[in-house]
Parts: sequence; C-alpha cells; structure tokens
Amino acid sequence: MKEWLRVFRAGLSIDNPLTVLMIGLCATLAVSSQVEGSLFMGIAVIFVLVMSNALISVLRKLIPSQVRIPIFIVIIASFVTVVDLFLKAFFPPIYAVLGIWIPLIVVNCIILGRAEAFAYHNKVWLSVADGLGMGVGFSLVLVGLAFIREFFGAGKIELLGATILKMPTGYAPPTILMMFPGAFILFGFVVAFVRWLNERSTDRKVA
Amino acid sequence: MKSNALRLIIPVVLTCMAAAAGLSATYTITAPLIAAQDKAAEEAALKSVLPEADAFEAVDAAMLASAQEAVGDSKVSAIYRALDGNGELIGWGLKVGSRGYGGYVDMVWGLDRDGKVTDLTILTMNETPGLGTRIKTEPGFLEQYRGLPGGFTEKDVKKLDMISGATKSSRAVRNSGIAVSVVYEAVLKAAGEVR
Repeated sequence: MKEWLRVFRAGLSIDNPLTVLMIGLCATLAVSSQVEGSLFMGIAVIFVLVMSNALISVLRKLIPSQVRIPIFIVIIASFVTVVDLFLKAFFPPIYAVLGIWIPLIVVNCIILGRAEAFAYHNKVWLSVADGLGMGVGFSLVLVGLAFIREFFGAGKIELLGATILKMPTGYAPPTILMMFPGAFILFGFVVAFVRWLNERSTDRKVA
Repeated sequence: MKSNALRLIIPVVLTCMAAAAGLSATYTITAPLIAAQDKAAEEAALKSVLPEADAFEAVDAAMLASAQEAVGDSKVSAIYRALDGNGELIGWGLKVGSRGYGGYVDMVWGLDRDGKVTDLTILTMNETPGLGTRIKTEPGFLEQYRGLPGGFTEKDVKKLDMISGATKSSRAVRNSGIAVSVVYEAVLKAAGEVR
C-alpha cells in the first residue's frame, strides 16, 4: 500500500507529467484556455491513462518488445475511440465542448510515455496507481493553468453554461493570455513555481 | 527465423482483432443513440431558424440531388419545406456543410417564403476551440447573414465581414451562405416553389 501511494504521489509532484517530465504540452497549451474544457479533458485523460496502463501491464509479458509500440498505439487508440463514442452518445453537451480534443488524446505523449516507461515494466496495481497519479497530476496543472488564463484573459470563468466568477466591470483582459504565446509564458512561471516547491520539500527531507 | 517472425506477428494481429471487436461492440451500442441525438439536434436547429413553422417535410431525393449538383463543393445534406399549422408553405430549412479548418462545418439555414434568410445556426463543427469556434461565439458574426434579402447572390455574401485569425472557419460560413443562395436560385426558384 505504501508503494502504491508513493507511485500515485509521484505523478502529482516529483514526476508530474507537465511540470517535471514536460510531456503532453501541445494538448495542454491548446485546451487550457477554458476551465470547462480542461476539466473534461482531464477526466478523459485519467480514464484512458488508467485503462491503457492497466491493460498494457496485464499483457506486458505477452507483448514482444520489438513490436510493443504498435500494440500500445492500438490499445490507446481503442480506448480513446471508446471514450469518444460514449461521450457523443451519453453526454452530448460535454462532447460539444471538447469536440476535436478527444481524438487528440491518442497522440498525447503522456499516455504512450507512461505505457512505455512504467506499465510495461511494473505490476498491474502499481501501473494503475501510476495512471491515476499521472492523470490527476496532469488534470490539476491543466485546470490551474486554465483558471488563470480564463479568469485573467477573458475576465470570467464559465462552467456548464453558468458564469461562476467574474472580474469587476472595467477590467480589460489582456488577450495574450488566451493565445499560445501567453500560455507558454504563463506555463514557464508555473513550471518554475512547482520546481521551487519540489526542491523545497526535498531539501527539508534531507535536512 | 520463420518462427521468430510469427512470434512478433501473432501478438500484433491478436491485439488488433481484440481492439476491432471491442470497438465494434461500442459502436453498436452507441450508434443508435448518436443518430437519435443528431436527429434531435437537427430538428431543434430547424425550429430555431424557422420558429413559425409547425412541421418540416423533406423534399424528394431528385430535388436534393439537383441541389447538390448545382452547389458543387459544399454538401447539401437536407432540404425541408417548412409548413405552418394549415399545411401552407412558409419557407425552407436547408442543412449545408462546408469545409472549414477541421472538416465540415454543418449549418442549418432558414429561408422565408421570399427567400430572405430568417436565421442560421451552426449544427456541428470541429473547429479549433477558442479560434475557429469564434464563428459561433463572436457577437455579430452570424447575425450579419440574418435578413439577407430574397435572391441574394455570392456577391452579397462576400461583402460581409470575416473574423481575423479564423479565416478558414469564417470561409466555411461564407461558402455555406453562397451554397444557400445557389440552391434558392437554381432549385427552389426553378421548381416554381417561390411565390
């Protein structure tokens, strides 16, 4: 259980896919302009990541290493398509928000990266922990980034059709935050902040 | 050597077969639901562009085919006659798809009896969120098409504004409008349906 927690927490902090491993950035920069889209993207990624990690870990002894990448891709693409069809059939409003980003989870390198780096070499329950940790770590940073971008870049936060937070009137939002250059700059600050946090906590452990 | 190749091929083939089975199962479950939702969305869109209509009646396949032929590049996927409570023709609803940045942008247009654009709406699109999707969210963009008079032409449509930064997506709406003008001119008018 201890090891399970350790693996899960690594995804949130010292091995966070976005701020430390720096993978899956293209989808992040694109989706993080809206909190709503980011939230659902996070949930979809967590699902796909846990499922593909679990399945690949179960099959890891049967998959020859020479052909592992094609097999990983087929497994991941299948799960993503399942998510795509299910969202379309049962949650059309959410599908309308996410639209084009769902199929793009296939090429999100976090999922292939974790299959290759973790699930292929570890036990099933640890792979599930890794998938959950990485997925939640990804979602937290994504939603945080989206919150800052939408709140300061658009002046309000909208969730499920309702405005839940609004800047005072007269606030002129800097549009650069909504565009990719602004996302890059902001992301740089977030990375610096998280690294500072991580370093501080490891320093304390050593001392 | 032969057995070695087989050792590699068999797992790949098995994985693909299992994936195909899983996907076709999912598809079988979800396809009717997705189709029903598309149908409901289309009906809601028709209602919203032609609020005075009580019923919509699809035109026959030959008419639809001739409309498609006249339009060329865009996709005319449905033409409906809008009928009021007495069964009187009060306008038309057209479902037109035009190529945007991320595939087709499907739109529903409403025309009144004189061919004036009553309203228009975007049914489905896969445009880039925050950029291409501004064709739906930008205030005043779709509105400028509203009220185009009967018999409007390509020239009238091209006078309308585009959204900078979303050129390809705006062009999808523009081409959709041009397609509607062509269908009106070449099909509805030619069939003597216009007053």
